[in-house]
Amino acid sequence: MSEVAVKETMLNFISGEIDATSDSVAIKAINLRGRDALESTAFPTRKDEDWRFIDLKSITRNNFVSVSSAGVKEAGDISDHYLPESLNTRMVFVNGVYNEELSSIEGLPNKVIVGNLSEYGDHDAVKEHLGTITNYENDAFAPLNDAAFKDGAFIYLPEETSVETPIHILNIFTDSDKAFYATPRLLFVGEMYSKATIIEEHIGLADNVYLNVPVTEFRLFAGAHVHHARIQRDSKQANHVSRPIAMLDQHAEYHSYTICLGAKLFRNDPRVIQNAQEVDFTVDGLVLIDGEQIADTHSIMDHRFAHGKSHQLHKVVVNDSAHSIFNGKIFVAKDAQKIDSFQENRNLLLSEEGTVHTKPQLEIFADDVLCSHGATIGHLNDEEVFYLHSRGLTEQKSRELLVYAFALESVESMEVDSVEKMLLEEVIQYTNRDLKG
Amino acid sequence: MSEETKALESMIGEEYKYGFTTDVEYEEFPKGISEDIIRELSTRKGEPEWMLEFRLKAYHAWKEMEEPSWFNATYKKPDFENLLYYSAPKKKPQLDSMDDVDPNIRETYEKLGIPLEEQKMLAGVAVDAVFDSVSVFTSFKEKLADAGVIFCSISEAIKEHPELVKKYLASVVPVRDNFYAALNSAVFSDGSFCYIPKNTKCPMELSTYFRINNMDSGQFERTLIVAEEGASVSYLEGCTAPMYDENQLHAAVVELVALDNADIKYSTIQNWYSGDENGKGGIYNFVTKRGICKGNNSKISWTQLETGSAVTLKYPSVILQGDNSIGEFYSVAVTTKKQQADTGTKMIHIGKNTKSTIISKGISAGQSNNSYRGEVKIGKKAHGSKNYSVCDSMLIGQECGAHTFPYISSQNPSSSVEHEATTSRVGEEQIFYLMQRGISEQDAISMIINGFVKDVLKELPLEFAVEANKLLDVKLEGSVG
Repeated sequence: MSEVAVKETMLNFISGEIDATSDSVAIKAINLRGRDALESTAFPTRKDEDWRFIDLKSITRNNFVSVSSAGVKEAGDISDHYLPESLNTRMVFVNGVYNEELSSIEGLPNKVIVGNLSEYGDHDAVKEHLGTITNYENDAFAPLNDAAFKDGAFIYLPEETSVETPIHILNIFTDSDKAFYATPRLLFVGEMYSKATIIEEHIGLADNVYLNVPVTEFRLFAGAHVHHARIQRDSKQANHVSRPIAMLDQHAEYHSYTICLGAKLFRNDPRVIQNAQEVDFTVDGLVLIDGEQIADTHSIMDHRFAHGKSHQLHKVVVNDSAHSIFNGKIFVAKDAQKIDSFQENRNLLLSEEGTVHTKPQLEIFADDVLCSHGATIGHLNDEEVFYLHSRGLTEQKSRELLVYAFALESVESMEVDSVEKMLLEEVIQYTNRDLKG
Repeated sequence: MSEETKALESMIGEEYKYGFTTDVEYEEFPKGISEDIIRELSTRKGEPEWMLEFRLKAYHAWKEMEEPSWFNATYKKPDFENLLYYSAPKKKPQLDSMDDVDPNIRETYEKLGIPLEEQKMLAGVAVDAVFDSVSVFTSFKEKLADAGVIFCSISEAIKEHPELVKKYLASVVPVRDNFYAALNSAVFSDGSFCYIPKNTKCPMELSTYFRINNMDSGQFERTLIVAEEGASVSYLEGCTAPMYDENQLHAAVVELVALDNADIKYSTIQNWYSGDENGKGGIYNFVTKRGICKGNNSKISWTQLETGSAVTLKYPSVILQGDNSIGEFYSVAVTTKKQQADTGTKMIHIGKNTKSTIISKGISAGQSNNSYRGEVKIGKKAHGSKNYSVCDSMLIGQECGAHTFPYISSQNPSSSVEHEATTSRVGEEQIFYLMQRGISEQDAISMIINGFVKDVLKELPLEFAVEANKLLDVKLEGSVG
C-alpha cells in the first residue's frame, strides 16, 4: 500500500468491530487497555529504528477481521501434531480459541494449574501478573492481543513443584474465507523453586492469510526453572508478530528456543528481564527461510541486577529471495556488575537474491562485566563441500549435509525427543527443497 | 619504560595541557549565516563565481535539512545564528621563511610542540598549518612540486587548480549528504588540498595541524585528497584547541579519492578541549570523513585516535567501488569526564573481491559514554568480498557506558562477514600479576591499556604513535584504581 496508509494505526488494517470484551474482570481490564493503546499507537514505518529493514506490506495490504467473522474451518483431526510425551498435558487453541475437546489435561501434581485463562480470572496470580510485565512501549501489535484475547493458556506452578511431562500449548490455525487476526495468549507463573518444560507451537493447517499476534508472559520467582520451546510453523502466507517476555527473580533459570519455519512474515521480539541477582537465561533461535519469507528477530537481554548470566545463539539460513533481520540487544544497567553475557548470530546465505541484516548491539553501563557478541554472514565453505564430494557424496547431498549440520546444534537443545525428531524432519525437508539444482 | 614513565608522570594532574589562547588580531566578520554572509565570505576569499554558486546551493540545501538526532549523545544544540563563520588573522603575510610568521603564532606552535622548524624538516614532514581557517604557512612546497604533488590550501587550489577541485569536490560527500556536510559546503573557510599524480609516491608524509583559536568561531575545514592511478600518500592530521567555556562547533568534511592501484593512508589524532569535570564547555566534533576506492586494487586506510571533544560524531568511511579494493579502519576512542563519543565507520562493498578490516577500541572512564556505530554492507555484485570487524570496549569506573551498534548486511552469497565485540574492564588479576613482578600499579594499568590499543596504534606513523601513547596515559591518569 501507499506510504501514507502505513503511517496510520493498527486499526487501519482491521475491518469490523473487535469482539465484545471478556466477562472476566481481569481480562476485561486488559482488553480495554489494549483498545486504548490501539488507537493511540502509530503503526511502525521504515523511519522507526526497530522497523528499518522489514517490509510490512504483507500486513498492510490486508484487512483482517476477527476470527468470529472470518468463516474459519474446523480443525478436524490434528492428532498428528500431538506430542507422545505430553498426551495428558496438552492445551489446544484453534485460531486463538480454546478447544476443550482436543485438549487433554490430567494427572497434574497437586495445585498445579494448566487451564484456560478465561476460567481463572479470579486467581490471584492472574490478577497480579496478567499484562503487568508486557511493557512494549509504542508497540502497535501487542495492544491488538490485549484488546481482543479472551482465551489463553494459564500455567501456574506452586512452590517447589515440578511438572515432569512437557506442557504442550498447541496453537492451530485453520483455513478461512477471510483474512483474520488471532490473539493467542500465554501466562506462566512459576512460584519459588518450581520447574516445567513448555512447548509452544503455532501450526497453520492451510495456506491462508492471517495475522497471528501471540503474547506470552513468563513470571519466574526465585529458583524457578523453565525450558520454553517455541516452534513457529504458521501458514506460508501468514503473518506472525510475537511478543514473548520473561521476568526472572533470584536464581531463576529461563531457557527459550525459538524455531522459525513458517509464515510469510515473522517478527519476534523476545525480551528477558533480570529482576534480581544471579539469574541464568538463554534466548536462542533458529530460522530456516526461503521463497519470499521475511524473518525478523529483535531480542532484548535486559540485565538490571548484578551476577547475571545470559546466552544467545541465533542461527539463520536464508535461501531464494528470503530476508532475515536480527537485532540482538544486551543491556547492562549501572551497578549490574559481574554480568556474563554472550551473543552469537550466525547467518548462512545460500542464494544470490537473499538478504541478511544483522545488528548485534551492546549497551553497557557497568564496568566489571564480560559481554561479547559475534556475528557472521557467510556461505557454505567450498572446501567442506569438496571434502564430502570427494568421499562419494553428490554435491547436492554434501550441501544438504552441511546445512543440516548447521541447523542441528539449535535443534538438539529441544530436550523433548519427539520435538527434536519432528524438527529434524523439517530441516531435511528444507534442505531437500532448497538445495536442488 | 621507566624514562618514558617519568616523563608521563610529570604530566600527571595536568588539566588540559594545550589550553591557552594566542593573542592575534582577527579580521572582523559579522556573526550568523545568510546568503549575504556567504557572498561576503566568498568575496573576501576572492573566489570564482562557480564556487559561490556551490556554496549557495549547499546553503539552500542545508536550510531545508533537519539537524540529526539519531546518535547516542545529548548536548545543547549549537546556535547557528550566533556562530562566526569566518575568521582569519588580519595580517596575512606572504612568507619566505619561518621568521616572517607572526611571532605569536609561532609561539603557539612551539607551545603545542609542533616541530614546524628544523626538527620537522629533519623529520621529513611538510606542514600546511591551518591557523583558524586560513593557511599561514606552507613548507616543503618546492620539494613536493618537484615530485608533481600539489599540496596547498583549498582556497589556493580553487584559484589555481579549478579543474581538479571542480571535478572532485563533493564527489565523495555530496552537498546534501548530511546536515553538517551541507553546512560545511556552504561556509567552509579553508582546508587542505592534495593531489598526487600518476605513479607517484608522495616523497614525504603530509601533515596538517588544525587549531581552533577564536572564541565562537565555528571551524569548517574542507580537505580533499586525490590519488591518481598508482599514486600513494600518507596524510597526518592532529588537533588541539584552547580552553573555552562556550561549546564550539567543528564540522569538517574530508574527502579521499583513490583511483586504480592508488593508496591513501589518513591518520588523525584528535585532542580538542573536552570540557571540564562538570561537562561544561568543550568542542563539538561533527565531522564527515569518507573515501572512495574508485579504481581497481586501490586502498584507503583510516587510523584515528580520538581523545578530545565534548561530543564526537564521526564515521570515517570507505566506499569500495573498484574491484579488489581494500578499506581499513583503525580506531581508538577514549572518553573521560562527561565526554560523549559516537564513532565508527562504514564499509560499503560494491566491487568484486573487496576487503575491509575494522578494528575499533573504545575506552570509557569517568561519566562518559562511548559508542561504536558501524555499518558493513555487501552489495549484490560484490562477489567474493570479505569483511572482518572487531570492536572491543573497556570500561573504567562505574559511571560510564559503552555501546556497540554494528549494522551488518549482505546480499551476496559468496561473501563473508565476521564481526565480534567484547566489553570488559582492566582485570584485577592482570594488575596483580604485573604488580607482583615489581611493576607499579600505574605502570601496570598503563601497560594493560597500551596492550589493549596496540593493534590500532601500530598503524599510526611513528612520530604520531609516540604522541598517541603520551596522550592516552595523560588522558587516563587517575581514572583507574
